[in-house]
Amino acid sequence: MAENKAAVRDLTVKEGFQLSKFLVKWEMILVYILILINLILAVARPGLYFNIGTIQSIIQSGLDLSPMVMGMVFVLMLGDIDVSIASNMVLSGMTTGLLYQNGTPGIVAVLAGILTGAVCGAFNGVLVGYVKMPAVIVTISTSMLFRGIVEIILDVNSLKNFPAFYNAIGWRNWWIFPICMVLYIIITVIFYFILHRSTFGRKLYIVGNNPVTAQYSGIRVERVKLIVFILMGVMAGIGSIFFVGRMGGGLSSSMGTGYEMDTIAICVLGGVSTNGGKGKVYGPFISTFIMAFLLYTLGLIGVDANTRKIVTGIVLLIAVLIPSVNRQLIADVKLKVLYKNNKNIEALNVKTAAEVKELKAEIARLRKSGDPDGKIRKAEERIVSLQNTCKEKTAQMKAELEENARKNKERFS
Amino acid sequence: MKKVFGYRNIGLVFGLIGLMILAGIITPSMFSLNTIISMLRNNAVYVFLAMGMMVVLVTGGIDLSVGSILALSGVVCTSLMSSHMEIPNFVWVLLSLVIGIICGAFNGFVVGYLKVVPMIATLGTMYIYRGFAFLLSGGNWWFPHQISEGYQAWAGKQILGVPSILWIAAVVFLTAYWYLSYRTTGRRIYAIGTNVESAKVAGIKEARVRFLAFVICGALAGISGMLYTANYAMCTYTIGDGYELQAIAICILGGVSITGGRGTVDGVFIGWLMMSVITQFISLLPGLSVWQKALQGAIIIAAVFLNIAMARSSEKRFLKERGALL
Repeated sequence: MAENKAAVRDLTVKEGFQLSKFLVKWEMILVYILILINLILAVARPGLYFNIGTIQSIIQSGLDLSPMVMGMVFVLMLGDIDVSIASNMVLSGMTTGLLYQNGTPGIVAVLAGILTGAVCGAFNGVLVGYVKMPAVIVTISTSMLFRGIVEIILDVNSLKNFPAFYNAIGWRNWWIFPICMVLYIIITVIFYFILHRSTFGRKLYIVGNNPVTAQYSGIRVERVKLIVFILMGVMAGIGSIFFVGRMGGGLSSSMGTGYEMDTIAICVLGGVSTNGGKGKVYGPFISTFIMAFLLYTLGLIGVDANTRKIVTGIVLLIAVLIPSVNRQLIADVKLKVLYKNNKNIEALNVKTAAEVKELKAEIARLRKSGDPDGKIRKAEERIVSLQNTCKEKTAQMKAELEENARKNKERFS
Repeated sequence: MKKVFGYRNIGLVFGLIGLMILAGIITPSMFSLNTIISMLRNNAVYVFLAMGMMVVLVTGGIDLSVGSILALSGVVCTSLMSSHMEIPNFVWVLLSLVIGIICGAFNGFVVGYLKVVPMIATLGTMYIYRGFAFLLSGGNWWFPHQISEGYQAWAGKQILGVPSILWIAAVVFLTAYWYLSYRTTGRRIYAIGTNVESAKVAGIKEARVRFLAFVICGALAGISGMLYTANYAMCTYTIGDGYELQAIAICILGGVSITGGRGTVDGVFIGWLMMSVITQFISLLPGLSVWQKALQGAIIIAAVFLNIAMARSSEKRFLKERGALL
């Protein structure tokens, strides 16, 4: 018989689809938030909302940093961070602009720009992966370095000549969809397959969860880090296309400051843990749109750009706080507030609650089977008596505690 | 002699001396007394930010919101001062401290008690405080004629030929040294940064120490906001943008470990001197002012690289010595 066999560990970790679990997933919560924001917008400005042009322009305005979000997901997945992406983006945009201005064909100039991003990313990656410097320090200094290079070359000038399709990405639509959104969906699908459907993606999770284990299980952690940072650089290069297109085809050295923080904020809101090893591609995908809609809605209500920063900050804080509100925290708070820091009282209450729960489950079962013996009433009486004894004992213990405290005070005063 | 070379920050000192010799040869004008004092005065604000940042870095955290706290306290103090000139000026120092402490306490609460990763928590509060600074300033600028003499004197009054902001900075340095080396709470900060688990076993309350570190950092950032506006006699809500990175850079130059547990007040002092000399040196070279950011970035990378290389080689030497013993 199957039951008598020695338990073989089932390595196929496949949970069945559970609707109740699916509905409270973080990504689903993000969807609810997105819908909520949409509803608010629809109610507050129906004339504006039910107009395809508005929706298109909201999406276009929010997606100028979208490629970098995907790159950042990978970097955060490793437990690292990259704050040099905004500078990297401006540097690769500048490369494209300079080459294009001097008569290089558009496609070559764009590829050169993306290559610049990749080289910058590789620089970060070597320092983080092989030299083993902390990612924060490396990328803070390279963010100064890259922007410094842009300042040296551009000084106070700005670049005006960019390939024509830049403008299309920032402002045009393909049928009813904004072009940038179509591109973003394509990028997301590619990254989805890399992260969730390839061995490289699994390696990322392992490295993020525990680099030492990863090293011992034969993953070349240094190389994985280097590849991820190069990928981040490439995405920053692609991001420069979106960004410059959105900026109307102009670029100067002071542009795009703070984009690295916005990108990280979107990733964190999307459920990617900054400790590494946790997160999905579709979470940040949804939260990009949340940010776009949220900022636009606030703008419509009449909140100005700088005050919107407060909202960004608060949203970010709440997003990181929600997962940390768990059972342990609630138990700790209860222990402090209700049980006067006494573990005995806590244990008594927890035990009683468990017993009561069991009895209630039994009552429900009895009700179903239509039991006429009066067992239900007995169980109910038992619950009441249990609760009463628990209350009495708690009160007694608390009184004892107070008594002890008073005595101690008297003794030592 | 041995003691001199056994000094932890000896590499930094040599770096500083080398840099000064180089600067002295190329731009001799740098070493007049006036230039030095003005150089130190211009960089004095970083002392407060870097000291606070060091305390947080030692616990293993990071505080990205110091630049925004600086702006918030600067805006509040300046705006109130320009409309209430009759209030004595020491009130603004206290007010800036209080603002800093409140902001820092919020950071500390979120990091210490709610257990949010410091980088993300302070990233969020960085936005929030900067936003409040804008709200309270209403986007206005304050110019020297709106800022009273007495207020400016907190930074600019000459005492024995040295501006008062430098005296305050010196006091902060000495207090920090005394506090971190000789006080129980100061040592606890190092204990938490070195090894959280063993510190907990030893009975140190982790949350409380982290909270305290952020409060110290916030208070110093708050007072630096008031001193910034007094020093430059101008204020708007964008002041101190990016200063958090500068402060971190100074700490890193000064040998503070970003993973916690390591970092000394004298190291940060040397790091601060180095950063000031670099900035001043570059600004004195003709046509090189656009190079400032790139050079700073490159120098920090090089410094950290050297730091790590030296630490590794000493570790190797240590292992070799042990091997010889066995």
